[in-house]
Amino acid sequence: MSSGEVSNISSYCLDEKSFHLCCKLFLQHSGVIRDGWSWADVKGSEEGYVKKTAIIPAKLGSLLNHKADDGMNAVTGVDECDDEAVGDYIVQSQVLVHYEYHILYSIGHQVPILYFRASTLDGQPLSLDEVWSNIHPNYRQRLLQGPWDTLTQQEHPFLGQPFFMLHPCHTEEFMKPLLQMADDKKRKINYITTWLSVVGPVVGLDVPLSYHTELPAPD
Amino acid sequence: MSVFPSDKTLLNSPMAAESVEKAASCPKLQFAPFSSALEAGFWHQLTQKKLNDYRLDESPRSIKGYYYNGDPSGLPTRLTLEFSAFDVNGPTPAYCCAAMGTLYNTNTLEAFKSTDKKALLDEAANEIWTAIQSGAAVEDPSILSKFIILTFADLKKYHFYYWFCFPALCFLEGIKLVKDPVLLQQKFSPQQVSAFQAAYDGLCSSSGTTAVPYFLVKYSEENVEVALLKDWDLFFTDLKKVTVGVYDPCTLPQHPGWPLRNFLFLLASKWGSQLDVLEIVCFRDRTLQGCRSVQQSLVLEVKLPSLSPSAACPKGVGWEKNPKGAMGPRSVNLSECMDPKRLAESSVDLNLKLMRWRLVPSLDLDKVVSTKCLLLGAGTLGCNVARTLMGWGVRHITFVDNAKISYSNPVRQALYEFEDCLNGGKTKALAAVDRLKKIFPGVNAKGFNMSIPMPGHPVSFSEVTIAQAQKDVEQLEELISSHDVVFLLMDTRESRWLPTVIAASQRKLVVNAALGFDTYVVMRHGLKKPKDSDTGDSSPSSSFSASDSSSSSTPATPGTSLFSNIPGHRLGCYFCNDVVAPGDSTRDRTLDQQCTVSRPGLAMIAGALAVELMVSILQHPEGGYAVASGSNDRMNEPPTSLGLVPHQIRGFLSRFDNVLPASLAFDKCTACSQVVLDHYERDRFQFLSKVFNSTHSFLEDLTGLTLLHQETQAAEIWDMSDDESI
Ligand SMILES: [Zn+2]
Repeated sequence: MSSGEVSNISSYCLDEKSFHLCCKLFLQHSGVIRDGWSWADVKGSEEGYVKKTAIIPAKLGSLLNHKADDGMNAVTGVDECDDEAVGDYIVQSQVLVHYEYHILYSIGHQVPILYFRASTLDGQPLSLDEVWSNIHPNYRQRLLQGPWDTLTQQEHPFLGQPFFMLHPCHTEEFMKPLLQMADDKKRKINYITTWLSVVGPVVGLDVPLSYHTELPAPD
Repeated sequence: MSVFPSDKTLLNSPMAAESVEKAASCPKLQFAPFSSALEAGFWHQLTQKKLNDYRLDESPRSIKGYYYNGDPSGLPTRLTLEFSAFDVNGPTPAYCCAAMGTLYNTNTLEAFKSTDKKALLDEAANEIWTAIQSGAAVEDPSILSKFIILTFADLKKYHFYYWFCFPALCFLEGIKLVKDPVLLQQKFSPQQVSAFQAAYDGLCSSSGTTAVPYFLVKYSEENVEVALLKDWDLFFTDLKKVTVGVYDPCTLPQHPGWPLRNFLFLLASKWGSQLDVLEIVCFRDRTLQGCRSVQQSLVLEVKLPSLSPSAACPKGVGWEKNPKGAMGPRSVNLSECMDPKRLAESSVDLNLKLMRWRLVPSLDLDKVVSTKCLLLGAGTLGCNVARTLMGWGVRHITFVDNAKISYSNPVRQALYEFEDCLNGGKTKALAAVDRLKKIFPGVNAKGFNMSIPMPGHPVSFSEVTIAQAQKDVEQLEELISSHDVVFLLMDTRESRWLPTVIAASQRKLVVNAALGFDTYVVMRHGLKKPKDSDTGDSSPSSSFSASDSSSSSTPATPGTSLFSNIPGHRLGCYFCNDVVAPGDSTRDRTLDQQCTVSRPGLAMIAGALAVELMVSILQHPEGGYAVASGSNDRMNEPPTSLGLVPHQIRGFLSRFDNVLPASLAFDKCTACSQVVLDHYERDRFQFLSKVFNSTHSFLEDLTGLTLLHQETQAAEIWDMSDDESI
């Protein structure tokens, strides 16, 4: 298994070199379709990860009164000013959620891992229940059996901040049939793309079809 | 906030002027202000900076945000700061424009409140104005999107207060729109659109970047050219009508975003007097499903007022409104993700939830987590029970013990260590609480250093001892009443009697664990039916007395059909199997008195089983009234999502084996029989003190055991060895 291309399957893992190659090709295509993925270097290290942030309107009633009023506004507030050059057309009732997705490599499991965090625009992270409630109901049942059941809260290995993570313990298991099928059909696939198509929807991340159809195949 | 009244006039005065103006004339250009957007990582990084770098230094810091012009419509115009905001030389995300800011982080909330916001805004406005006047803003127009963030980080509570300001210079009379805004696709042919896109991309790559905030545009039918602002003189030969481009983060169909505001000021100040009409392309560069689209860019035509370059600094506006739409700061509480104690709690909860999601979807965790557990005994069993309860997320744990920690304890009693033994030893009940809190600060643990009065252990030496015993009884009654499950984990049999009686009377679930040398018993006590229910059922002894006593007296055949399907309210207690009353040290051969030393693994096994038994009982819809599962049920459909709910688990370490016997409540039981409960409920301490002060024969006489002894000689039949046949 050289070069990230799964052509000769002896194992359904992904070695580190292949991970980097898969990421490189993935990012190349992302650059073409401009869907926001980029490589983040880790300071003082050779390592890094693939990242993307996205703003997604949420339907969380609970988030609207997320914070307790602390009386600060009464203390420091001034009367509303009507800057005529400011439009008053800003819709504030909608809650936006800032999703951060990081794809890291797990040396231990030899597979990619998805770390993610969701927060409101003031930087307050969502709880797992809130993340869950934002998942389309059609997905939930499937996800209970799928990758969602491996979700854990863990410190981000590079940032040291709490993130949710889809534990890699089952990755090889659910990747195996997909890789086998591709191999049977002599199709070349990018591990990252295929893997992300499975785990991404869990956390509101769609992988455009063009990744499967137009991603340059590694040699 | 005495400075704020003056702030108010400041913030309002330019608006007021514009407001008057608006009433009188044609459409004026309006701008969508920035909404601040912070990633969670920003606060983590600010915390690190404050703790390690800034400490008490309040001097302003450079900081970097970015904005993006590719959002789909509907999203607000955002200025985003992520964790890398403090690294001003770091990369800006691709296709985004950097905005440089100044961070003012105060040391106190007072300083945050009393910071002169007017002065900060004036200073920033002046800086922008100066750059416009000097021409520096033409060379590097990024100064136009400068911002301010004022913060206070309360790192004790993990509360963060912040207020953004996006300084904008105000035209006294506003900007008149010459025409209604149109989309680029209405203005440009498809050929012009792609030429424009290509020209912009060329400008980006020749500038070594992926986004240019302000640029110049020139177009004809066939051709579109763009250039950097600083190339104005070379680029424009005719100033009759010029076109400029602004990277526009706004998604509204009629309005530009904030970055245009100060840019117009720059244009008006530099070229306002020469320009007749200014055309502005508010450049929006979206990609939808892989398809790039700049056609949605907005094209405006405005008439710029001319400004005297020597004019005084214009008024500035720009403090952000809070979510309520008022001029005020925002705050965010991040204790959930920053307070290590809260993090531990949420991680523990999450782990348990995962167990449910992954393995036992029907598991009712709340039932377990909310159960209040009273642990009588904080020795080997108590320590292990407490740890297993914590593993299940149980938060409310109370210890009762009267012993101190001795040198032999720590190696077996998981909650203590060597230091706890020094100077006479710490009190077990209290040391156990301290340790639980160290293990998991979210636990609600309490400890009571007290003795439990025992039958056959007189308390009637003096008024003082009687009063103490009465106090202890009342305390124990109170504790049992305020908990849901009582664990009997003492190392003597007699001390289990009083809590057995009280818990039986109060209808509390009792889980009992006792150790021999290499054998153990873990059991739940039968849970009597509620007092107001049918009395026939609440005293199983009356209806079962005949078969009960006969079966009790024929130990060769226990555990068969007679012992299957016993409902919880008919199950026996720890003392039901005894034919002697507690307090009789000569005839007493029960487990916990045969040996005081057991194989070290035994307490861990039995302690863990005691908790797992409790959890299984709680998962059964009938709880403590659940029919007892037996060893034979191991092949059948389990009654709960976690499996069986036995009455007893009797284990034999020598064979690494266990059995699940069930036994009926015994109508002559010295602890749970109706006659004992009746006496206790009627005479309370008066009855109890008689039991404490008398020999075992008092209880035996009361329950009829004495009579039974005369009928049978099988006093030793309840040894463990016999029970193996069950
Ligand atoms: Zn009993």
